[in-house]
Amino acid sequence: MRTRLLTTILYIVVALLTAFTALRPAAAHHAFGSEFDANAPVLLKGKIVKIEWVNPHTWIHVEITKDDGAKEVWMVEGGSPNTLLRRGANKNTFPVGTDVVVDGYQARDHSEKRANARNVTFPDGRKLFLGSTGTGAPNPDDFPTGKIKTPNK
Amino acid sequence: MRHLFLAGVPAMAALLLWTPDPVAAQTPKSPAKTYSPRRMANGHPDLQGTYDLATITPLDRPFGTNAVYTKEEAHKRETAAALQREQGDQAIKGDRTAPPKGGDGSIGPAGNVGGYNTGWLDPGSTYTMVNGEIRSSIVVDPPDGRVPPMIPAAIQRTTAGRARPTSDAQENANDPGLEKAPGAYDDPERRPLGERCLLGFGSTSGPPALPDYFYNNLHQIVQTPDAVMILTEMVHDARIVRMNAQHLPKNIRLWMGDSVGRWEGDTLVIDTTNFTNKTRFRGSTENLHVVERFSRIDDRTLLYRFTVEDPETWARPWTGEYAWPATNGHIYEYACHEGNYALTDIMKGARLREKEQASAKAAR
Repeated sequence: MRTRLLTTILYIVVALLTAFTALRPAAAHHAFGSEFDANAPVLLKGKIVKIEWVNPHTWIHVEITKDDGAKEVWMVEGGSPNTLLRRGANKNTFPVGTDVVVDGYQARDHSEKRANARNVTFPDGRKLFLGSTGTGAPNPDDFPTGKIKTPNK
Repeated sequence: MRHLFLAGVPAMAALLLWTPDPVAAQTPKSPAKTYSPRRMANGHPDLQGTYDLATITPLDRPFGTNAVYTKEEAHKRETAAALQREQGDQAIKGDRTAPPKGGDGSIGPAGNVGGYNTGWLDPGSTYTMVNGEIRSSIVVDPPDGRVPPMIPAAIQRTTAGRARPTSDAQENANDPGLEKAPGAYDDPERRPLGERCLLGFGSTSGPPALPDYFYNNLHQIVQTPDAVMILTEMVHDARIVRMNAQHLPKNIRLWMGDSVGRWEGDTLVIDTTNFTNKTRFRGSTENLHVVERFSRIDDRTLLYRFTVEDPETWARPWTGEYAWPATNGHIYEYACHEGNYALTDIMKGARLREKEQASAKAAR
């Protein structure tokens, strides 16, 4: 009985830990803490106007409309494009005009309209990039009009 | 950071797990005796190909685990890693708000502002398998599977030099040198080599070549009678191994050391010395000495074994090994400098922080 209780507690702890870590984006490869300002969170809703398909980090340019109606282009930092390329995605997979929602933190230099891309999703919350490899890789034809396959299902 | 985000495709895991017993019989302990690899015109084994080094086997064995996992243990761990990955891919709220002011609580290089979605990552999904054994660490000697502790003089030396980040500083998420040591942001040359697009993160190019527990784990071997070239995708590092040659004079130092090769039977042995004091693999000195041994296990797999020694850093040499499975994937260019906005943003961020601190001090 006691063992069962302990096992149950253990399962709950593991489940909580898993949920906690899964919700968080992965740690970065370089000094994100110095590059971005933890006191300047941003939520950007707009259209992709350009993708810089470069190493070490992909930069996605998103045009947003501010409250006063003015347009502003932000650059958000993602990971290495090589991984996406190996999955069959390329810069044509996410054409200009694709609507996205990005959450992150602005660069410390606020004169720069730059931010880290903690999460890049379509307006309905689906992730733009999925982490599958091999046969589970998303079909580029499915982007961006929907029907993104959830890998391994 | 290394073990939290592991790949999600259990297909390879299933292959590993459902292989009928005895697995050992399929991967002979002395490959040379029972397996004859394909050969080059000069009779030596043909090691050429593109290999994907991604694995979830860490360098150091986790405390409390055996050297070899049972199939059941490996299955459990690989499935957990796959599940975590899958959860990372799940949709979130489209109408979400911005992350919390003051930071999202992430630690290490993610620095309280978070990193990437799992979609960007491509680490391994399975443990490495050597001699039919599912290995819990790359290090096999010392027998506890862990890199030996540094000798006191080395600890003193590395503590004093913390403000000069090492090639694998990124992997030491708790290393105060990366973020907090005095002078760590004084000029670009104080920043880690990976951040500066000079060498791969975490000794991907090596030697010794270690897996990147993040992405871009492809390596290519090109072989001629006189030279062997090992290309590492991250960060575009090509190491040229001169066959049957003498080491360069001691005053000539190279980022990845000076590598010379020879054949011992069907094993390619590469001896590397003449390192600089800029890479400092896991705190070592420029007198680091690495011996690597490449052999073919089968037509699709190499065994990579390495021994590292530096008496000024460790009291004894240590050895690691893991499999390099061939891949049909292609290595892509990793031209890095042109797009490295991050480095300028990091340096700018540091200057702004200094200004803020100075004006806060003046106001007091």
